[in-house]
Amino acid sequence: MYRFDYTDLVGGMLLFFVGAGVSLVSIGNYPLGTLPRMGPGMFPAILGVVLAALGVSLALQALRRTGSRPDIRFFSPLFVLGGVTAFALTIVPFGLIPAIVAIVVISSLAELRIRPVSLVLLCLALCLMAPLVFVVGLGLPIPLIRWPF
Amino acid sequence: MEFLGNIGLGFSVALSLTNIFYCFLGALLGTLVGVIPGLGVLAAISMLFPLTFHLEPTTALIMLAGIWYGTTYGGSTASILLNLPGTPANAVTCLDGYPMAKQGRGGVALFMTTVASFFGASFGIILLTLFTPVIAEYALRFGSAEYFALMLMGLVAASTISEGSAIKGLAMVVLGIIIGLVGMDTQSATIRFSFGVLGLLEGVSLIALAMGIFGVAEIIMSVRRVKTADIDPETLKLSAIKPTRDDVRRSWFPMLRGASMGSFFGTLPGTGPSIAAFLSYAVEKRISKTPERFGKGAIEGIMAPEAANNAADQTAFIPTLSLGVPGSATMALMLGVLMIHGVAPGPNLISSQPELFWGLIMSFWVGNVILLLLNIPLIGVWVRMLTIPYHILFPSVLMFICIGAYTSGFSTLNIWMVTAFGTLGYLMRIFRFPGAPLLLGFVLGPLMEEHFRRAMVLSRGDFMTFFDRPISATIMALTGLVLIWSIWSSETVRKRRAPPEGEVALARDATDA
Repeated sequence: MYRFDYTDLVGGMLLFFVGAGVSLVSIGNYPLGTLPRMGPGMFPAILGVVLAALGVSLALQALRRTGSRPDIRFFSPLFVLGGVTAFALTIVPFGLIPAIVAIVVISSLAELRIRPVSLVLLCLALCLMAPLVFVVGLGLPIPLIRWPF
Repeated sequence: MEFLGNIGLGFSVALSLTNIFYCFLGALLGTLVGVIPGLGVLAAISMLFPLTFHLEPTTALIMLAGIWYGTTYGGSTASILLNLPGTPANAVTCLDGYPMAKQGRGGVALFMTTVASFFGASFGIILLTLFTPVIAEYALRFGSAEYFALMLMGLVAASTISEGSAIKGLAMVVLGIIIGLVGMDTQSATIRFSFGVLGLLEGVSLIALAMGIFGVAEIIMSVRRVKTADIDPETLKLSAIKPTRDDVRRSWFPMLRGASMGSFFGTLPGTGPSIAAFLSYAVEKRISKTPERFGKGAIEGIMAPEAANNAADQTAFIPTLSLGVPGSATMALMLGVLMIHGVAPGPNLISSQPELFWGLIMSFWVGNVILLLLNIPLIGVWVRMLTIPYHILFPSVLMFICIGAYTSGFSTLNIWMVTAFGTLGYLMRIFRFPGAPLLLGFVLGPLMEEHFRRAMVLSRGDFMTFFDRPISATIMALTGLVLIWSIWSSETVRKRRAPPEGEVALARDATDA
């Protein structure tokens, strides 16, 4: 238990900064226009102010109550998002099969234990299934394997 | 006679071979997604959406709608056998379904909830058929002020009524609208918030956003937490699914009451299948002569909520199809799918696209009959799905998400957007910000801006236009009441913290449907 609800305090402050940023960018870069003839900057500028105000009130409420520790994990997001990133990096230069292997192997590490047999089987199964569904079944033009060098 | 003609037109569309096939596929995939905990309906629809790119809009919608109501059928299975709701709408079913399973009556519970689901869905479809055209006709005279007011009410209600802090819900709606504004402004051709990325000219991809926030973030939260199920094979013997005469006698009125309540709450913005199921359970318990049986395997306690959530699934389409204003995140996704397929939603939809509208509605009958046939004999198969280990499931789902994102436009930008929204979704989980209002705001944002600007042009910049016109004034007043009520109730909730155990888990994620 903490004295304040730090989760909401930080969350509220983040909302405030995002809202303020949106408003400043809109006012600075896009014409505001007038109310009868609104320009592209008016609506986002209003929304930014509303978001910032909501952020401030959330942060103020957080000061009035105690809070518990937020549930933050490090390895799960790292490996899951890392797998998606690896897919994005490999799909165009290397083709579908290497991209599938990359995402499956990297995201499986999020379990924090490696099951070699089941991992290899899963890779094989998905490398067979995905081309069947997307390339053969739906006729999408994705190269299976490519060598860029 | 025109009415019968429309029904006939609908059936002729829904009963074409292609549409029956995709309806079947949707219902099947929906049941699968519903059975497996840790895979939500929003993630599933957005993941499978790229598969429907090459289809006719009607067929695509028939399949995606099948996924939506199929999950509610399937979701009760995990609730009953594992005490783990497959979808939030099935959470209440755990209360009496799991005790029934422990008493060896799991098969009966699965069978009876399928019947209740079918009953509720039929009730909902009939209302949908009768009322949608009437409401759409009435809505034809709405102007921009009315539309803006309606959308505002939908967003405020959806973000404040259901769960958690009203401020967080509203903040996420606003953030969603802002994300929706990224790209080219249609009226002035100004490019907003693209930060020099050319691919963002057309705006943020709805599919990448939904897959990131509901798919990837959900996986990050579930890894190493979802345990594979342990099921007693004895409960699944087919002989054990026959209900006693007493069960049947007790089920009629709860089903009817559940279906009526579900239909009502399904149409309202902000409430939906989860809240409908929860309230109908509360009502059954209150009016029962033997409330002490509830929580210990009372059949009424599973029949009413399962009829309610399926009825609500169907009637949720009423505002979406008649007004073009979705009441929940899933309906917003359906609306987004329509728009991506180039169909303009709104009250004109029924007259301009009668094949789509009537075909979709009549496909609900096809889909529900398919689900009835799928569920009862195949209960054993669905239950086996529960034993797929999560370490096999989640890399496969991630792979489908990535391929889906890449093939919707053949650009890696969409995959990067999935990464970005996965990160955002995970941050939102940490700060306990709800995801459903964000999606709703994202879809409605550009429409709201357009109507707001048009209303301002017509009234020469006078804000009072929203309060001068009777219909829009009424809607604005309702919106105000919802806001005041939500602030008041969040104050009282804080005063009596620590709700009774069990209800905490149910209230959590109630908006995710």
